Amino acid sequence: MNNKFLSVALAMSISFGFLSLAAQAQPSNKPVINPPPTAKDWANLAKLPDWSGVWNPFVTDQDKQAKTNMPPWTPKVNEQIQFQLAEEKAGRPPPLFVDCLPEGMPAWMLITHNAMEVLFTPGRVTMLGESDGNRLRRIYTDGRQHPDDPDPTFHGHSIGKWEGDTLVVDTVGISPQAYIAISEAAGIPNNGDIRVIERIHLVGKDELHDEIEIIAPKVLTKPWKTTRVYFRQRARKFDIVEGVCLEGYFAPRKDKFGNDIFAPIPVDVGGNRIPPQ
Amino acid sequence: MILKFKKILSIATFAVGAMSITSVMAHHSTTMFDKDKVSTITGVVKEVQWTNPHVAIFIEGTIKDGDAPTLWLMEMTSPGNLTRGGGWSRNVVKVGDKAVVDFSPLRNGNKGGALKKITLVDTGKFYTADIRAQERANLEETVQK
Repeated sequence: MNNKFLSVALAMSISFGFLSLAAQAQPSNKPVINPPPTAKDWANLAKLPDWSGVWNPFVTDQDKQAKTNMPPWTPKVNEQIQFQLAEEKAGRPPPLFVDCLPEGMPAWMLITHNAMEVLFTPGRVTMLGESDGNRLRRIYTDGRQHPDDPDPTFHGHSIGKWEGDTLVVDTVGISPQAYIAISEAAGIPNNGDIRVIERIHLVGKDELHDEIEIIAPKVLTKPWKTTRVYFRQRARKFDIVEGVCLEGYFAPRKDKFGNDIFAPIPVDVGGNRIPPQ
Repeated sequence: MILKFKKILSIATFAVGAMSITSVMAHHSTTMFDKDKVSTITGVVKEVQWTNPHVAIFIEGTIKDGDAPTLWLMEMTSPGNLTRGGGWSRNVVKVGDKAVVDFSPLRNGNKGGALKKITLVDTGKFYTADIRAQERANLEETVQK
């Protein structure tokens, strides 16, 4: 009797155990839905600072900072950077960005030579770069957190919040291969575990400043801070144009039927068009 | 039929020939050009590649009087940057234009350079290609009309 009772109790407890395990395996919440924006959400965008127009980078300052604000590279990385700088100076610039993969984060913000525009929509700030159809940052401002284990991507996973007129952006989940670059010829893959914190705000009427802090323990001995500057253009003739990097790998030609085609052209390992022989 | 085939062959040969004078360029440093030197070539524009990420102009001409004309490749920044920084548009320099180009030559001695300024002989109009010429807001107030 006792034995029977025990065996039933045991069987029940095992069953309940399985049931509770099964219950735990089910998603505990309903899928998170991105709600449709309300009229108020759209109206609230008008309270944000005006970042409209086209923003082109202060390249001269990028060059200057490559000399005056060197990241605190680890000794091993510093050797590689110094070699790259020497090669560049000697007229043999290392080809960091000649494959048309996205420059990614944080290199895009650090060393771009091309303009961008910034779009506000409810719950989102979107940055669109001019050269490269693949320069695009989605910054979620809807209060969400980062995923627990985001897929690594060139631009990472960005969440932002407004502190007054400053957008504070936190970015994780960046591909380890994405460069921390100080010029188009000097930089190092972040090698993993990088975090980028930005404070983006207007200075005066027509300058956008991106105060960047880069935490990259695999290549930096401590966090590195830099500010990158963009100038606003409003003339319609300076609007952003399409800029497909891969177009450089083709030339407009005719095929044997007279059709207009893009014909592939040979790739120089250094990233150059080959001059006439 | 044979004539047609020959015609196709000749077009194909031309296309391959034209292709051999071009190659690729992505986002990279420009120190392969010697910025301390400026050379000048006078000649005729043979091809304009108004493409991203870098515009190129092929010009056939001479650097020294008496030289035989040769074909040179001139590199520039992107269409967007040329538009903002140098007052360019797609059609300001056309095939057949007579032009004078000031450029920084390739260090390796090949027939290529970074275009600094192109002056059209017939009109006297000129265009520069300095990416840093756009480093201020509201460029329309100062850029070449």
